[in-house]
Amino acid sequence: MPSGSEPRRSAPALRPILRLAAIAVGAALILSFPAIAGNPYMVTVGIGILNYAVLATAWNFVGGFTGYISLGHGALSGLGAYATALLVTVAGLPSFAALLVAAALVAALAIPIGAAALRVRGASFVIVSIALVLILVLVFQSWESLTGGSRGLVVPRPFPALHRAEHHRVFFFLFAGLLALALAAWWLIDRSRFGLGLKAIREDEDKSEALGIPTFTYKLVVFVVSAALTALGGGLYALWFGDLDPVFQFSVLNGSTVVLMALLGGVRHLFGPMLGALVVGAGLEYAKLEYGDTPLHLVATGLVLGVVVMVMPDGVIPALSSLVRRLFGPREASIREVTAAELLEGRRRAPPPPPEPAPPRDDAAEVSR
Amino acid sequence: MSASPAASPAPTARLEAVGLTRSFGGVTALSDATVRFHPGKVNAVIGPNGSGKTTLFNCITGMIKPDAGRVTYRGHDITGQAPHRIARAGIGRSFQLCRVFPRMTVLDNLLVAVCPRGLEAQLASSRGRDDIDRARGWLARMGIDHLETTEARNLSWGQQKLLELAGVLMADPETILLDEPAGGVNPALIGRIGTLVRELNAEGKTFVIVEHNMDMVMTICDHIVVFDRGRPIAEGPPAVIRSDPSVLEAYLGA
Repeated sequence: MPSGSEPRRSAPALRPILRLAAIAVGAALILSFPAIAGNPYMVTVGIGILNYAVLATAWNFVGGFTGYISLGHGALSGLGAYATALLVTVAGLPSFAALLVAAALVAALAIPIGAAALRVRGASFVIVSIALVLILVLVFQSWESLTGGSRGLVVPRPFPALHRAEHHRVFFFLFAGLLALALAAWWLIDRSRFGLGLKAIREDEDKSEALGIPTFTYKLVVFVVSAALTALGGGLYALWFGDLDPVFQFSVLNGSTVVLMALLGGVRHLFGPMLGALVVGAGLEYAKLEYGDTPLHLVATGLVLGVVVMVMPDGVIPALSSLVRRLFGPREASIREVTAAELLEGRRRAPPPPPEPAPPRDDAAEVSR
Repeated sequence: MSASPAASPAPTARLEAVGLTRSFGGVTALSDATVRFHPGKVNAVIGPNGSGKTTLFNCITGMIKPDAGRVTYRGHDITGQAPHRIARAGIGRSFQLCRVFPRMTVLDNLLVAVCPRGLEAQLASSRGRDDIDRARGWLARMGIDHLETTEARNLSWGQQKLLELAGVLMADPETILLDEPAGGVNPALIGRIGTLVRELNAEGKTFVIVEHNMDMVMTICDHIVVFDRGRPIAEGPPAVIRSDPSVLEAYLGA
């Protein structure tokens, strides 16, 4: 729910301060995690969740703002990963230069991809986005001379001098920085006129056009931004993990998991996808630990997706905040109640204008030459 | 030729459709229709259901492309342009079944119509003081300013109609096409919408209104175009149209 819909009368000055304090506490918790975690394995779990959070937040530029549900963002992160790796191994670029160039290349490639895919809406767009991943997995599997195919592609480590534990620690902070970048960009768009136009597209695309919003350009721009951030996430993963396989990089399943995270947390909220990544990412890791490689975690993922869509289509954050409002703020329990009260009050103050069956017609009589 | 707004003294929001033709499958919705709306006036388009009125609106605003014919506005050919370009050229419209952004607040429904130009303006906050003041002005004029923070889906039908009109006005068009502004609205509100249209017209807005409510059309409109089977069959001031035999035959089925 956009922040503008919150009632302003409850301590307006306190709200932003509380919000800033909550963000500071959250950031401190994340940044101190490697120190608290104890062993390197826990740090890798943290990196996995941060990576998911980056991908889910990047996805939410398209899915959250415009309502276009892409199951194909795995294609963009995979391209980012392979482009980064190949720029290091083949072109010999330094690791992080390769990462930036890869993101720029994927962003450029996202222009024709978006221009084609964003012409269709709803379910058709979902199918086109899936097709993109399926095509790319075939290409990258078959093109063995370049990608190594299913044998995998080894990416040299950017800091060869570091021990494994140190390597994980450094990448934890790199992923946290990338997440901060993605969140800042999402926040900036969310509060802007551009962002309001994107949300109008989500609500009613034709109506937006009729009001003068260049919907196609808006969608394409935000798709390219989303693609660049997704590619950065994929590329950073390549540098961290050091081994790429097309089956995992270009996976509809991974793409869908990221969508589930965003939907679970709430796509209309800045921190929704991040929260979803924390819950689902931790859950998946636990399931893999306890139940090995049985497909049980897939079943659980599917069940959670179904429950979320049916019970709280807006995600956890709006569901929780409305619950809190119901429990602790009876006066604001329903928008309708406030509205009705205000309506009454308004009517008492100024009665509605009486019906005027005959508006001025004097100038209407002698027209039309 | 292209930019000479200072040359003409009278309002030049001249909107013309020449030879518009459009068919859907085997059904011809518009058939070589030529209409010249009067700038600075309240124009009406009336006619039986299926006579091509809404298709005319959709062709003018770029929502559908005509098979043949041209639409010109202020002397420029706007045929087949993207709807947002036509909107930014100064033509606003409402929809037959009232369309607002349901999950946005009433205020955001207006702020969305600001139409920023340039990168800096697009990335500026959507809650700029000037924009909000202007939006509140329109909401107050519609009498729905007390609903500012309500989501649009929680509004009554009549309130949504007023909100849609306020949104159209927020984009500051010179020419406003209204598709059935009185549809499903109670008589008191019809009167209020009619008064608003006359007031806005006095402030310089040109209107084109598709409407079935003949009381409203006859009271607030200066110029009436009657459509039948995809083309205009008569036009003139209300007094003339009311007694035109071909209109009575086509429209009233008499």
